[in-house]
Amino acid sequence: MSRTSRFLGTALATAAAAMALAGNAAAQDKTIKIYGFGAKSGVVGIFGQQSEAAMQAAAAAINKAGGVTLGDGSKARLVIEYLDDRCTPEEGINALRRIASQQDSFVAIGPSCSNVAEPVFGILQKKAGDASDSGIQFPIYTDVAAKGGLASISEWSFRNVPSETNMYKAVFEWIKASRPDLKSFYGGVEKDFAHSNSTFNVIKTHAGNNGLEVKGQAEWLLNDTNFSNQVREMKRAGADVVAISAHPFTTCGVLKEMARQNVKPKLLIGLTSSSSMETLQGCGAQAEGLIIPTSFAPVTKEAREAAAAVQAINAKYNMDLHSAAAYENVFTLKTIIEQQKIMGRPDTIQADRQKMRQALATMKETTGLLGKVGRTADREAIKPFLFVQAKGGNWTVAHTPAQ
Amino acid sequence: MAMDLLDLLDLSQSVIDGLLFGTTYSLIGIGFTLIFGVMHKINLSYAAASIGAAYLSLIVVTAVPTPLVYAFAALVGGVLGWLIYLICFRFIPINNPLATLMSTVGMLLAIEELISHLTYGMPQNYPALFASSNFEIGQFFLRGDLIFVFLLGCAAMVALTLLLKKTRLGLATRAVAQQPVAAQLCGMGVNTTNASTFIIAGLLGGTAGAMAGAAIGVLSPLMTLPLTVKGLVVTVIGGLGSIPGAIVAGLIVGGVENLFQFLRGVSERDIYVMLLLFVFLVFRPGGLFAAPGGRD
Repeated sequence: MSRTSRFLGTALATAAAAMALAGNAAAQDKTIKIYGFGAKSGVVGIFGQQSEAAMQAAAAAINKAGGVTLGDGSKARLVIEYLDDRCTPEEGINALRRIASQQDSFVAIGPSCSNVAEPVFGILQKKAGDASDSGIQFPIYTDVAAKGGLASISEWSFRNVPSETNMYKAVFEWIKASRPDLKSFYGGVEKDFAHSNSTFNVIKTHAGNNGLEVKGQAEWLLNDTNFSNQVREMKRAGADVVAISAHPFTTCGVLKEMARQNVKPKLLIGLTSSSSMETLQGCGAQAEGLIIPTSFAPVTKEAREAAAAVQAINAKYNMDLHSAAAYENVFTLKTIIEQQKIMGRPDTIQADRQKMRQALATMKETTGLLGKVGRTADREAIKPFLFVQAKGGNWTVAHTPAQ
Repeated sequence: MAMDLLDLLDLSQSVIDGLLFGTTYSLIGIGFTLIFGVMHKINLSYAAASIGAAYLSLIVVTAVPTPLVYAFAALVGGVLGWLIYLICFRFIPINNPLATLMSTVGMLLAIEELISHLTYGMPQNYPALFASSNFEIGQFFLRGDLIFVFLLGCAAMVALTLLLKKTRLGLATRAVAQQPVAAQLCGMGVNTTNASTFIIAGLLGGTAGAMAGAAIGVLSPLMTLPLTVKGLVVTVIGGLGSIPGAIVAGLIVGGVENLFQFLRGVSERDIYVMLLLFVFLVFRPGGLFAAPGGRD
């Protein structure tokens, strides 16, 4: 072989190797994006911040394990982009429209607030494939907004939130079985917040259905700071069981007023959203003994690892039932992307959205941090749950009901 | 609806609780009215700065006894008051009241957002004195911490009145409020006096923020807007620029708020407070301690 031929051969081989390397580098630079939106600012900003942290933690774990396999067999790094809706309907709708207008968006996780979820789901196409409905055709997979029945608003909306009806039903059945000495119930409710208001009706119903005499209820608003009237009514009622359907700020206000007026029910029950560090930070001493049903506690290896991963993102953030759902959602969507061979490219995006919606609609089961999560026909989740109790400044497991 | 004795007792207790809690409204109202009285401008960020001062006093909460936490809140309130004067009032043309109003709206929103971001929106425990001391007088129950807040609030108001009536600074403040040009001609620095007014109002505001936190037991960014609204209502009902009016109006608003919460429930409570404001605006627009004004 002549020297020229050898030189040309070497040059060609070198060029081929360089192109192969460049191809690999390009594959490692490939990204696929999952959007999120929720309350990142304002007084409930912690919900969105923790959801975003959980999504980032999940993405980091997925990328560490090699990333997401796209429809063409290549690997891509998972990227999270999270928009702030400030827990207001107008901003939530804006956020969704902005996400849906992106050429790389085929699914979004969110929102945080039920008062945002309702109008946001309302602008989606009601029935998939209905040509007469000009609603947005974009799948949303909710992590936090927990008011009952919202996913039925649109066939493009899906939720991974626990059923509060099932949870509180289990709570009162457990009370009936284990505490037959408890005979009466009194409730307190934050009236101007969709979640607390609707959940209170569930709580009251199940209290009555399980033999507790409902002696009355006290009401207050999200911004209230003076609860003397309400707690005085509670004291007069003298009920064995008191349920507080409110978020941490007013829950703490009421608990502190109860301590002042020496109101000590035999059992205290709280709202799911109050099973967080906010409550323990604001009124740990007064919340001692408070029982709350929740779909997250660090009781499995996966749950502990996920909680640690979120703390690694930012030590201020904790995993709770809301951010745990966001974490689970990312893994579920990763599985769907791979099974449905989603590409996330501008030329495939409409088809990707349809594939994502179809896959979410036909899912029978997903994998959660506490175990398998079932799916219902109306796009809701059947999540395993347990009861936690405030003890010594921490949430401890009080009871794991049979499910 | 006929009321039995128990209902009457509960009603009376509600009013008493409201009056005691209304001291915090009085303190906020005094701050609004003091600044309006001197500069004829409204500082809408006053309540937010008061809560901000209470938050900042949490820096020392583990290092000093509770009374010193309150004192720190007052001092920080004074500093914040001065900063707000510099940013929102000092360099804005005096004949442009809308500009200062909007700048204080911006400051209110900025303070609220800053608090939310730095605390992640989480409620923070705030120390209260005499929290576990409660007094029962017959059928009535009086909170020890609210009585303390009430007495401290009264002391702050007396101190302010003495400062305004008995000191050169108070004289200058009153002179600038009445006739800024004449005051300047007499050698009183208008800018210095205005800055001092904001500092004094800030000291009072920091105290008010601390007392609000102590009365509630926690601090939260949720407190800023309701306190702003209540402070403005108190200022108008008391009479713009009238400190005694703000004191009395604060107690009235606190009492009325609790009274109607007892009678009509939480969803109608604020309607009656606003109706009270409307009644004053129509029949006595100058407020409690002003001569009735003429109507258009």
